[in-house]
Amino acid sequence: MHVNMSAVTLMTNEVIRKRLLIDGDGAGDDRRINVLMKSFTKWCNSSFSPEEGLSQYQRMLTSLAQCEFSMGKTLLVYDMNLKEMENYEEIYADIEKSITSAHDKIAECKKEIQRAKRIRKNRQEYDALARVIKQHPDRHETLKQLEALDKELQQLSHIKENVEDKLELRKKQFHVLLTTIQELQQTLENDEKMESDDAQESPMENGD
Amino acid sequence: MNYCQSFRDTFISLQLLHMSVFSQSFSPCGRFLAAGNNYGEIAVFSLSAALSPDASEGSQKPILNFTAHDGPVFSLLSTDTHLLSAGNGEISAWSWAELIKKSNKAAWTRKPSYETSLEIPEINAMIINPKDNSLIVGGGDNNIHIMDMETEREDEILSGGEDGAVRIWDSRTNRPVHCIEVFKYEECARPQFGKWISCLATDSDWMLCGGGPSLSLWHLRSMSPTSVFPLPGCQREAVFYQDLIMSVGEGPFVSHCLHGGTVKAQIPCTQSSLNTLALNLKNTEHRVMTVGGSSHQIDVFTNFSYRAFSLSF
Repeated sequence: MHVNMSAVTLMTNEVIRKRLLIDGDGAGDDRRINVLMKSFTKWCNSSFSPEEGLSQYQRMLTSLAQCEFSMGKTLLVYDMNLKEMENYEEIYADIEKSITSAHDKIAECKKEIQRAKRIRKNRQEYDALARVIKQHPDRHETLKQLEALDKELQQLSHIKENVEDKLELRKKQFHVLLTTIQELQQTLENDEKMESDDAQESPMENGD
Repeated sequence: MNYCQSFRDTFISLQLLHMSVFSQSFSPCGRFLAAGNNYGEIAVFSLSAALSPDASEGSQKPILNFTAHDGPVFSLLSTDTHLLSAGNGEISAWSWAELIKKSNKAAWTRKPSYETSLEIPEINAMIINPKDNSLIVGGGDNNIHIMDMETEREDEILSGGEDGAVRIWDSRTNRPVHCIEVFKYEECARPQFGKWISCLATDSDWMLCGGGPSLSLWHLRSMSPTSVFPLPGCQREAVFYQDLIMSVGEGPFVSHCLHGGTVKAQIPCTQSSLNTLALNLKNTEHRVMTVGGSSHQIDVFTNFSYRAFSLSF
């Protein structure tokens, strides 16, 4: 009794609180163990009738079984908690991994977007230049036009040559014609002159 | 005392009402923004403070605000160590290290040589030629009607002026190599606005120009316009960014356009019209786009599709 009294006074609020917390079932295990110990010592020391002793013995066995059951339950809970901890650790590691992979993906996507922007810019520039180029006529067309014009030019110069040749020829012919006419005129004049000279000479001869 | 205080407050709020932001420049580290307004003041804002998760009203105000020039600051340019600002005919340099420490002492001030000393024209644009570290300055000199601004493409310089012509100069011989008169092209010309060029940007073989004529994309090899953008007002600044073209001008929005000539989006802003657009690509943490215009506020876009918040002078 004296020891118990001092034990109680030594107990602080903390200890009481801890004991109340640990005592999982509420008003169960600890008291049960104490009662078991007390009844065991009472059963050993005091004298019971055989039936009473047996019933007391049975009662103690039941109590013991209950305590064992409770202990088993607690052990299972402990195991379960350990497994849960492991499970959570795994999930935590998984989430960490997916966070880093998401980070990497984000960096990849950012690079992708830069590339896409550059491609879009290039495309726009091509389009703009293409629009300008389209405004100018097609090269084949222009070449064809050039060829046609060349041909026309050749034809026209050909015609010009022909016409010039003709002109030269006509000129020459007229020249020949005119010279012939002039010579004829000259010859006729000469003939006339000779005739008139002859006529003058013959009357002079007759007058002799 | 009260009377003086309220008078000062009215004066300050009037000043804010009439303020226009003309130029912006990010620091070489990308953590600060300098902006110049029509009163000649330069304000330095801390981007790291404004973009941090615990930003407050105070972090949207400048960390340093001082008067740099007599006239409006039309152009700001950052080199690796200094901020160059151009006012009425003079260029001042401020060390970024000093500015961050909130000191507003200029490193140097210079005037480019002008033909006549009678007129002091304003300087509208500046750019650095990285080859020989020279500063190329365009201003309203020689002819008071020419207003130039320039962008650079390898060792050629492009300039666009009030006469409506975009000239390409060879930086070695300082002679114009090509001259494109944008207003002569029917598809771009808008005679109701005039022929002046107010924005110019290049990206390898392509050039953007706009102003009086519509904003148009040109292919420089063939010297022909490939797309014309159907934007209503006159555009004051345009940049190439990835696969988009961003442009600001008259109208309270930033236009996102595609190279093909379509306007993909128009993002609304607080200002009624915008003068300057700047992209901070030097620093990946503080990658923002900032626009300033006819208001004392500067809109900041962290995602280029919507306005995040505004800095204020």
